[in-house]
Amino acid sequence: MTDYEAVIGLETHIQLNTTTKIFCGCKADSWEEPPNTNICPVCAGLPGVLPVLNKAAVRKGALLAAAMNAEIRLKSFFDRKNYFYPDLPKGYQISQYDVALGNGGYLNLPMPSGEVRQVNIVKLHLEEDAGKTKMEHGRRYIDFNRCGVPLVEMVTGPDLRSADEAAQYLIRLRQLLRWIGVSEGNMEKGHLRCDANVSIRAAGSTELNTKTEIKNVNSIEAVRAAINKEIERQIVLVESGGRVEAWTLDWDDTHQRLNKMRSKETEADYRYFREPDLLPLELTEEWLQSVLTELPELPLERRARFMNEYDLPEYDADILTGDRPISDYFESTVKAYQGDPKVVSNWIMNEILRMLNELGIDADKLILSPEHLVQVIKMVDEGTINNATGKALLAKVQESGKPPAAIVEQEGLAQVSDDLALGAVIDKVLVEHPDEVSSYREGKEGLLGWFMGQVMRETRGKADPGLTRELLQRALKGEG
Amino acid sequence: MMDEITTELFEHLVELAAFAFNPEEAEYLRRELNQQLKAVRQLEAVPLDESIPPASHGVTYNSETKPELREDVWEPCDNPDEILGQAPQVEDGYIVVPDIPHTKLD
Amino acid sequence: MSILDKSAFSIAESIKAGELSAVVVLDAALDRIAAVDGRPGSLGVGELSQEDKTKVHAFITLTEERAREQAENIDARVSAGETVGPLSGVPITIKDIYCVKDTPSTAASRILANFTAPYTATAVKRLEAAGALTLGKVNLDEFTYGSSTESSAFQPSTRNPWDMERVPGGSSGGSTASVAAGEALLSLGTDTAGSIRQPAAFCGVVGLKPTYGRVSRYGLIAFGSSLDCPGPVARDVRDAAMMLSVMAGADPRDSTAAREPIPDYLESLEKGIEGMRIGLSPDYMQITFPDPDTGELVRQSLPVEIREATLRAAEILAEQGAEIVENVPMPNTIYGIPAYFVVSRVEAASNLHRYDGVKYGCRTNSEFRNLREMYRKTRAEGFGLQPKLRILMGMYVSAAQYSEEYYQRALRVRSLIRSDFEAAFDPKGAYRVDALLTPTTPTTAFKMADIYGDSVLMQYADQLTVPANHAGVPGISIPGGVSDEGLPIGIQLLASDFKEETLFRVGHAFEQATADADWRRVKPQVLRDM
Repeated sequence: MTDYEAVIGLETHIQLNTTTKIFCGCKADSWEEPPNTNICPVCAGLPGVLPVLNKAAVRKGALLAAAMNAEIRLKSFFDRKNYFYPDLPKGYQISQYDVALGNGGYLNLPMPSGEVRQVNIVKLHLEEDAGKTKMEHGRRYIDFNRCGVPLVEMVTGPDLRSADEAAQYLIRLRQLLRWIGVSEGNMEKGHLRCDANVSIRAAGSTELNTKTEIKNVNSIEAVRAAINKEIERQIVLVESGGRVEAWTLDWDDTHQRLNKMRSKETEADYRYFREPDLLPLELTEEWLQSVLTELPELPLERRARFMNEYDLPEYDADILTGDRPISDYFESTVKAYQGDPKVVSNWIMNEILRMLNELGIDADKLILSPEHLVQVIKMVDEGTINNATGKALLAKVQESGKPPAAIVEQEGLAQVSDDLALGAVIDKVLVEHPDEVSSYREGKEGLLGWFMGQVMRETRGKADPGLTRELLQRALKGEG
Repeated sequence: MMDEITTELFEHLVELAAFAFNPEEAEYLRRELNQQLKAVRQLEAVPLDESIPPASHGVTYNSETKPELREDVWEPCDNPDEILGQAPQVEDGYIVVPDIPHTKLD
Repeated sequence: MSILDKSAFSIAESIKAGELSAVVVLDAALDRIAAVDGRPGSLGVGELSQEDKTKVHAFITLTEERAREQAENIDARVSAGETVGPLSGVPITIKDIYCVKDTPSTAASRILANFTAPYTATAVKRLEAAGALTLGKVNLDEFTYGSSTESSAFQPSTRNPWDMERVPGGSSGGSTASVAAGEALLSLGTDTAGSIRQPAAFCGVVGLKPTYGRVSRYGLIAFGSSLDCPGPVARDVRDAAMMLSVMAGADPRDSTAAREPIPDYLESLEKGIEGMRIGLSPDYMQITFPDPDTGELVRQSLPVEIREATLRAAEILAEQGAEIVENVPMPNTIYGIPAYFVVSRVEAASNLHRYDGVKYGCRTNSEFRNLREMYRKTRAEGFGLQPKLRILMGMYVSAAQYSEEYYQRALRVRSLIRSDFEAAFDPKGAYRVDALLTPTTPTTAFKMADIYGDSVLMQYADQLTVPANHAGVPGISIPGGVSDEGLPIGIQLLASDFKEETLFRVGHAFEQATADADWRRVKPQVLRDM
């Protein structure tokens, strides 16, 4: 039985988060709007209209190209890709064919094995989006709201080897897009769209066999499932003596299956030619430099740096570079704290992330600033408050906006570490629960936790846990 | 002399152009095209040096005369309803057209 | 003397001075239209009556209400002491290839017969803002494909006011005929291979193709995007210059409209042409085309009348102080037509993709089972013969396997054609001419139905005008005489990029010098009995 290897390439379309469309002044984001309301003569392809290029789309495209290690061409051209489709009002799409904005590029994808796979980019260009169609009762309903939204099309080489790797690529890509601020990268909203090219070959072989194209996968999970299904189908087909044909397949998420769309043999001849309504896109070196300076440290670079510089485990570093706001937050906190970064990491991973999730915001929107967090951590370190109080304090700072020290003072949250005071509380608790004291003395030492709880209740959570434990143990043993 | 655009090739062009002709029209158009191609053949004889570039436009633009790129500022259209109003078939704000058939994968 | 015999310039002056009412001018124009135009072009017309054959038929749509509102507005503002624009009260017609809001904008095609534009082309906007009265949309060859206006889906097609059995030329036939017949004083046309200059020559009026990018193309239903130029049609050079000053200039809606400053064309008109160098080229005194049977190149001298009109014009200009430079070589002129066949068809085929019955224009009424069939039937029914031919040719020469051979090659030939002009106009070159003087067309207006249908011969008639479209340089056709048959002869001036000023100066000087010429007293047939 032959061992097979999957060969996968991904074609992604990334919707740039500019304010307006690429060739006209309509909004780029019209997700919520009623159909055919965010249109104008230009994006609706009326007779006589002309495209005018959005400079922000160029800037974001260049930023993305730089982040993908691609060469940014100082002179690139737009071309017409001609074909008939109802959601393409002009009957052609303005795209870039042979001399596009980006040339080459790659993404270094970390694998679970620890290896880093270089996924090459073979195409990176700007183009305009088409409208949306929905199928119902044997008819198509067309909405042009999305026509003309700026897209970057990015195509990888056949460098991925499994559905999981493809999913990883998309996860890292999405992270990158949000990191550099060029797209929300939300697949469910269509900000990031993906078609997968899949073929198989005998393991160890280097030839490329006929591939199929999978379309309409609208989430990372759908990509994973669809690719797995297709690899399976191809293997079964080839094992039974069949031949893989260059089909285009449509993923049906509801039924988790693939349908054949159209045969590639009858693919349209797009008759590409230079778009005469646009002049060549010419960028200056100065402009290019200004874009490159805008490029921040990228997520995978920062992840590596956090592991090196802060001695963090990969798990932590990965989470702390999940998005740019949280990683900036972490780093600001570490710099202000000047202590063990792992301590900060724990606080953030355990408490801050949960808070962000509950509030549904990014770290840069927190009222609880890195400075506030440092103050709380230090108070716990110094024993001014206990751990539980510290955790609760975070929410209080976030809600009130007051500095932690002020809240501790106002609400009297300071830890009770006074021997005498604690001793008195412990005596009271023991007197009130003689049965439990007997049980403990007879061997049920697990009841210590329960006693701790009682003391905490009496002190409204402010008892110093370490000291309380010590004193309780002594008291229960009949000492002191 | 052989026709450059054969009947078969003509059919392909008709396909590309999303047309449909009856046989008489088709033949007439095919012959006209071949006639015109004779004129186009003149281009073959033009001595073209390697260095002569293709010109997408005749005039040249420089950095002063070239129009600037557009600022990323929203400019709402004041009559999208009139644009939609030109469509032959509209339902609930959508433009309606018939479907394109799919084939199921076994 | 009718108001309509005045120039646009003098009418505007009188209006601004409060000496003339815009409504009065409008009424005069409407009376003229009623007298000479006959029924407007429409679909499905059938046989032409005898009456039809004596009328001009420049119009597809008359926009009387719009014009009246504009005229009343101007009169009111003048009375109130407000300043009004430089074209105030001047009646104009618009070639129906421009989108004008709330008017049918048909491109003379069945496929757009029911299309009402929801926006207005920039050039038209500027003219209307300057106070022009928009009389209506005038006829043209369908999608501007043709040189006679006969291919319009809206029949009867326009007839030449000088001889009603002849074509007005094309594709801006409605524009030039409406001006020649005095129905309007100005018209907005388009020139892609000579489609303003050739009909201007046939109709004895002034027609300018500005430099590519001088006037915004926003709102111009596209044919050859790298060739199309909106331009003025007028009865004299000053009026054309005035119209260009209003329309010209950058437009944030057109990425190919140059940010080139606009000179004061009117001011420089009177500068005269002393010392100007005007070139004559033997390559423009003949037509070269491949023999339909053998394919061999045939060179045919232009008719004597036409050559002589041009040479006489050169003499007159010399008398005004210009230096005539003979034998300026323009060797790549002969490739203008084949290169045009290719480049324009590729762009046209693509530009016409959008007419699919989905979102505007006609959708087929016959039954269809699916989307593809809807496309086919809509397009087959909606387009006339000429667009179909162009689209198919465009598909062929841009198809993947042929593109390099045809399209890419044609674009390189275009560079060659451009280099002819650069060499002629180069201030450090051998010829250093300010302008070239050539005939506009190889013939005077031909009879209707004469060569319509013989697309090759009709195309070669554009050989003298199309090089300027390839090169992007500006060109103007002005009346240069009248033939023995009583038909207008046009002469053409060509200058380098953005030097319309030169064309106006030379044209104006020629007009002044020939103001009393006998041939200027001959009137178009349609006006002779008025």
